[in-house]
Amino acid sequence: MISVRNLYHSYSNDDKYAVKDVSFEVKEGEVFGFLGPSGAGKSTTQNILTGLLQLQKGEVAVAGYNIKKIDNRMFNEIGMSFEESNLYGKMTAKENLDFYRKLFDVETRDSMDLIRIVGLQGKENIRTKEFSKGMKHRLTFARSMINNPRIWFLDEPTTGLDPAIASEIKDIIREENKKGVTVFLTTHNMYIADELCDRVAFIVDGEIRLIDSPKSLKLAYGDKLVDVEYIKDGKVLKETFSTVMEEDKQRLIRVIGSHDIQTMHTKEATLEEIFIKVTGRGLV
Amino acid sequence: MKLWHSFKKELKLASKGMYFYIEVGVAVVMLLVLLLFVPKELDGRHDEYLYLDLPQGAKELYLEKIRSEDLDGQEESVTLKQGGRMISARKFVLEDVRLYVLEDREAVIRYAEEEREVAVVVALDPDDGLAYTYYLQGYESEKLRNLYLIFYNKVVSMEEIEAFFDDVEVRTLEGNPQMLNDRENLLPPFLTFNGSLMGLFILAAYVFLDKQEGVVKAYAVTAASVWQYLMSKVGVILFASVLTSIILVAPVMGTGPNYPLLLVFLAASGFFASALGLVLTSFYRDIEQAFGALYILIMVLILPNIAYFTPSWEPAWLKAIPSHAMLESFKEIILDRGDMGYVLGASAGFLAAGAVLFLFANHRFKKTLTL
Repeated sequence: MISVRNLYHSYSNDDKYAVKDVSFEVKEGEVFGFLGPSGAGKSTTQNILTGLLQLQKGEVAVAGYNIKKIDNRMFNEIGMSFEESNLYGKMTAKENLDFYRKLFDVETRDSMDLIRIVGLQGKENIRTKEFSKGMKHRLTFARSMINNPRIWFLDEPTTGLDPAIASEIKDIIREENKKGVTVFLTTHNMYIADELCDRVAFIVDGEIRLIDSPKSLKLAYGDKLVDVEYIKDGKVLKETFSTVMEEDKQRLIRVIGSHDIQTMHTKEATLEEIFIKVTGRGLV
Repeated sequence: MKLWHSFKKELKLASKGMYFYIEVGVAVVMLLVLLLFVPKELDGRHDEYLYLDLPQGAKELYLEKIRSEDLDGQEESVTLKQGGRMISARKFVLEDVRLYVLEDREAVIRYAEEEREVAVVVALDPDDGLAYTYYLQGYESEKLRNLYLIFYNKVVSMEEIEAFFDDVEVRTLEGNPQMLNDRENLLPPFLTFNGSLMGLFILAAYVFLDKQEGVVKAYAVTAASVWQYLMSKVGVILFASVLTSIILVAPVMGTGPNYPLLLVFLAASGFFASALGLVLTSFYRDIEQAFGALYILIMVLILPNIAYFTPSWEPAWLKAIPSHAMLESFKEIILDRGDMGYVLGASAGFLAAGAVLFLFANHRFKKTLTL
């Protein structure tokens, strides 16, 4: 669905590249995470993919359309949720969505349905300039679904939302993905990437350092150990077992079988730890 | 359809924003100025205060002569206020002057000293001719002073002056010229300013506001085109331009002007000015950056207004400024027998130039609108 080959972009039109030799593919139905700190080149890449920035060098195809010469029909296939809410403040929530519905050539979703999906029912007739930041963000997110996109670009979709709303947003993303929507997720939040993405790309200083699934990365970079707390003779004991060594595996089975287990944790690495290990940089 | 929906949305947003009402408000203020403060014919007469230091018989003869030159042949008894004093006077309105004849010589001189008015004392000279003593302010030109000296004190006889003018050949270049009254004459500059130049500035403001709110980016990822976005903005500017122009023209001119032609010209010139604004806007990220260029452009476009009110100054290069053709076209439209060919030609020119500018702006904005 998305194909990027040797992408370069310079804002100053010289060799100071914001994005350098970036190549990757996103398959249909995949949730692909683009993970990196601020200024790493995530937004630049996404803006090129969505036609907001002109392609300077490289080959990019989105939904079968060549980005070099953008065909407006491509926008019928894609949806874009922006990190910064960008709504017409003088128009109500429904008016905003109703207007955007008319800018596509494909069947669009009902504005009220979308408003309900993001939990803004009852607010549809309020001007969006009176909305809180979170409400604006939800409406911007809802708008990105209006044309039933096949490829959905999400830029920090849960930033600034309270945990309950963020969880709802993640559920919506999962649900749409189940319907076959390909998701291109740009974020510096490793938790949402870990929860949602089939594969992630780590980008730092405009270059992709690694692309893999979160599970494979954890296996590759995590320690294969289990921390166990159990009760023996009235005392709480804590032991670490290797999940690879046969002797430790047998001992772990015996502990589980003969004692009350208090806690048990695998020592897999978080995406953030892996990111730091791979790139030598934090995610903020 | 996308253009129509975008235009409707722009119109709705404009009706909820201040710029639209600023345009309408300015038009209403201009109209009030025209109707309440600008007379149909401006009174160019100046005031002169006279004391007749003459014997009674000569005085009567002099007053009779003035009365015969009065526009309605009547004198008016008025009471003037000078400082704290109330002064009685006879008022005569002549073709180029309002004369106040006072009975108090000192009061006449005080008008020159304190009120900076022209004061004249008329007396008899030793030959029983009339002698005029003018109390001037000192800044009057040599030419004027000489003129008074020659004309009133008979350095050159009236016969000689008349003979000179009789020898001057007057050839009429244009027979039966059409004239606008003073109020109507102000309409073309007002229409040019409100209809076109203000639209240029407000269009830039609309685009920069959209950029600031980020809604341009949201629009850019829809299946609508950049030209539809730009044209919807131009449409709102044209709508406001037509509305404000009608507000100005209808009450002042009534059914006189050729309204269909006015609409054609407003659309063509408005389109040109809007496209010019778009081209300029495409080079800047925000209104602060663009303000200097906008200011210079509007100042240049205002230059032909100076020539409009100063007939003796109209250099050839001024005609190259588009607002010159706008002024002339608006003038032709509101004249009874205006040159419709000129207006249609100018409309076609503005439409063609506007189309070229619009295409260029569209090309630029494809690269820069979302930056």
